[in-house]
Amino acid sequence: MSKTKILLLCFPALLTITPFLAACFFIFRFSFSANQGAIEGFSFTPYLELADPFFIRSLLTTFKLASFSTVIVIVLAIPLALVMATVQKPWLRRLLSVAILMPMILNLLIQSYGWIILLGPTGVLNTSLRELGLISRPIMLLFNESGVLLGLVQTALPLAVFPILTATRNISEEHIEAACVNGASHWRCFFDITLPLLKPGIISGASIVFAYNASAFAIPLLLGGRRVQMLGVAIRDYISPLFNWSGAAAAGMVLIALTIGVLALANYLTQRWTVTEYQS
Amino acid sequence: MNLHLEIDAVSKSFGHVSALEDIHVNVERGSFVCLLGPSGCGKTTLLRIIAGFERQSSGHLRLNGKDISTVAPHRRNFGMVFQSLALFPHMNVAQNIAYGLKLRGIKGAKQRERVDELLHVISLPEIADRPVSALSGGQRQRVAIARALAVQPEVFLLDEPLSALDAKLRDNMQIELRQLQQQFGVTTVLVTHDQTEAMMLADQLVVLDRGRVQQCAPPSEVYRKPASAFVADFLGSANIVQAKANAHGSHELFGQVIQLKNKSSQSHSVELALRAEDIQLKASDVNDIEANGEIIMLRDLGPSMEAIVKFEGNQIRVRSNDPELRLLELGRQVSLQFDPNRCIEFA
Amino acid sequence: MRVGIIPQQSGGSYKFTIYLLASLGLLIATLPVIIIALMSFSAAETTSFPPQAYSLRWYIKMFELFQPNGENSDASLQIALLTSLKVAALVMLIASVVCVPLAYVLVRSGGRLKNGMELLFTLPLVFPLVILGIAFLLIAESLDLELGIWRLVIPHVALVLPFVLRNCVGAMSSIDIELEQAAISLGASPLRAGVDIVVPLMKPGIIAGLVFALIISFNEFTITYFMYTVDVTTLPIWMYSRTVSSLDPSTLAISFVIVLIDLALILLIDKLLAGRNSLL
Repeated sequence: MSKTKILLLCFPALLTITPFLAACFFIFRFSFSANQGAIEGFSFTPYLELADPFFIRSLLTTFKLASFSTVIVIVLAIPLALVMATVQKPWLRRLLSVAILMPMILNLLIQSYGWIILLGPTGVLNTSLRELGLISRPIMLLFNESGVLLGLVQTALPLAVFPILTATRNISEEHIEAACVNGASHWRCFFDITLPLLKPGIISGASIVFAYNASAFAIPLLLGGRRVQMLGVAIRDYISPLFNWSGAAAAGMVLIALTIGVLALANYLTQRWTVTEYQS
Repeated sequence: MNLHLEIDAVSKSFGHVSALEDIHVNVERGSFVCLLGPSGCGKTTLLRIIAGFERQSSGHLRLNGKDISTVAPHRRNFGMVFQSLALFPHMNVAQNIAYGLKLRGIKGAKQRERVDELLHVISLPEIADRPVSALSGGQRQRVAIARALAVQPEVFLLDEPLSALDAKLRDNMQIELRQLQQQFGVTTVLVTHDQTEAMMLADQLVVLDRGRVQQCAPPSEVYRKPASAFVADFLGSANIVQAKANAHGSHELFGQVIQLKNKSSQSHSVELALRAEDIQLKASDVNDIEANGEIIMLRDLGPSMEAIVKFEGNQIRVRSNDPELRLLELGRQVSLQFDPNRCIEFA
Repeated sequence: MRVGIIPQQSGGSYKFTIYLLASLGLLIATLPVIIIALMSFSAAETTSFPPQAYSLRWYIKMFELFQPNGENSDASLQIALLTSLKVAALVMLIASVVCVPLAYVLVRSGGRLKNGMELLFTLPLVFPLVILGIAFLLIAESLDLELGIWRLVIPHVALVLPFVLRNCVGAMSSIDIELEQAAISLGASPLRAGVDIVVPLMKPGIIAGLVFALIISFNEFTITYFMYTVDVTTLPIWMYSRTVSSLDPSTLAISFVIVLIDLALILLIDKLLAGRNSLL
């Protein structure tokens, strides 16, 4: 194929991705602006000004919620992937895939309605607990960290299940049989054989979940309200009430560094492990 | 002589790797030419250059004396049958055959007529409406041929079209293909690595090795007078042997004195080819001095027997339908006999 | 004895734990949707759960909202729905028009170009949505662009490109180059061969990509949250602004209808890609 033909066929697609690249560049440039409301001059002030309690607290909240949700998601995703890998009936496998995919496909807004109804002061949880006489006043689950955590776990679950499911293809029955013949218990098999073989899938799943949840916006906005300021919501606040656009850009760059850093680290780790495994 | 397609000094290199070097082939109108050679010899590259899918690095292609070297493949009006057959999976049989007609603006009743005609020619008139996925291997083959011939191509090109078929079907298809080609009188170039196929189909064989033409001649000539040891070996697995010069200015092979036509090589040993079916075995007593060959392998090929004889460190292949050969056993001492006229000298 | 990743016959506490956690994961993944489905059929005014009685009253109310010129009709809802559909249609059109030729080039030329381009067009997938939202907002506001509906179309296209491209490349990879050459040898120009042979054979992949584009664009919330204006509002934003103070069961009815449409589309994709496991 000639160079002109290649260029001609690539051109429309390159044109449509240009606004995205421009947006990336724009926010990068804005984060070094000396003016809060427009790109003007060059300064590190937007970054230096991030060292205030509002941003630091939001960064810590983000880190905490993203880490917790990642751990919970992985604990749930491993059994789910194992079950999916062993399901034989095609219709059941399809049903499971669709059910697990749902949190990703469906509108985040709609899904948070479900949590609001479930966790709200008159929601099913509070009503049942009250009827059982365990509590006298509704406990607050919504608009605090536990509600957000639940939402993050739910929406990110499919992101971990599918990489781990892919990794289960590395496990052959011979692996498990070999261990069983040697007299290992099922739990020993799991920790000695299954888990190490799933490691690449777990690492990549965990990093995606962490990156996705660290940059979550809809869930903390809808389930956390004003009280749970994760980074996404904090950046919104820089823009909307504060009109500090360069500050928003700088905070955004921090978030990008955090997520891309985690993804790159995971990529590095899985690659290094695969290489050493081949060598040994 | 009616020159149709002329391949003149064509060379092709991919980066630093040379795939074809200085190829000259003249294809006469209505003739069937086979490009024959082992895999990697450049035969498919040459066919793709003729079709226009590759551009030669140097040299020219002429059709009816007109240079077509730079004509785009879709303007050459060559019909081609691909190795994968490349039947369009989203069209039925009739649509596949009609595609080239459609591109030439042949529509409606005229198109249907031509498609019907071709389906009759390939004796499959009833499959017009079938999807190509429902066809058997032989049927696909015929449809691919019909599709290429429907457009009345100047030159008909085939890239190992029969290689995916089983032996019996392949044999039938070879006969059919040759009949079709003669019926249409179309100039045809076929690529194959199968020497029997090439011998059976071609008017003219072009034997290629490592990007060079080794010999270009009718099959009988290539078989009887191979131009090189490579050709002799590739066509009909000849034994390549060394005839030693003796003191009387002649040569000796298997203990038999032979006179070579080529007088220039009288003082040194000469490489000759001797076909497996041109050698006879004579079983002999253990004490026989002449009998210094030993049978190390015996194979029953059905109509004939094949023996591999170890003679002075060389392995000589012998094939015969003489019932005597069946009486021999492994390890038997034998002498090798042959008609000196059957020895093939290389130019 | 058959021994698998999950033991078939025995397994005791190990098997129990795996199935328990997998069920919990499945429950968390699907709970919000189940609750919305149940609540949308409630007969009660409020959203207390579980409903005391069931009815179709909220679906009737929803139909009234959509009725043009009716007593309860809501013009803003109808406009929002129309905008959502317009945006999605434009996004689908643009994405397919640019991705088909690009996929063709990537598969046919291969090598470094393919790897580089695929990386470039996957970037929008790993980029935090909230950052993209503010970046596009900052560009549009600083440059004072009058974009109309394109405010949403441009970022949505960037968002769906990875999915559409991936499906197109997948479909393209299975098309033997000899099919194209066969068409050309019969007299088709390369462009004609593309239209007659390549595009029809890519169709399942293109459609699957487009359905992804439809789902993503129609349900998009985060970027749209930053980019919408009074004149250009999508259905999710309309729902958000309506429910920001309290949840109205008719919104749940709308939600559940959207969920059903999404699920139907996903099953369609699954059918289109049958055999090729590329849902994610």
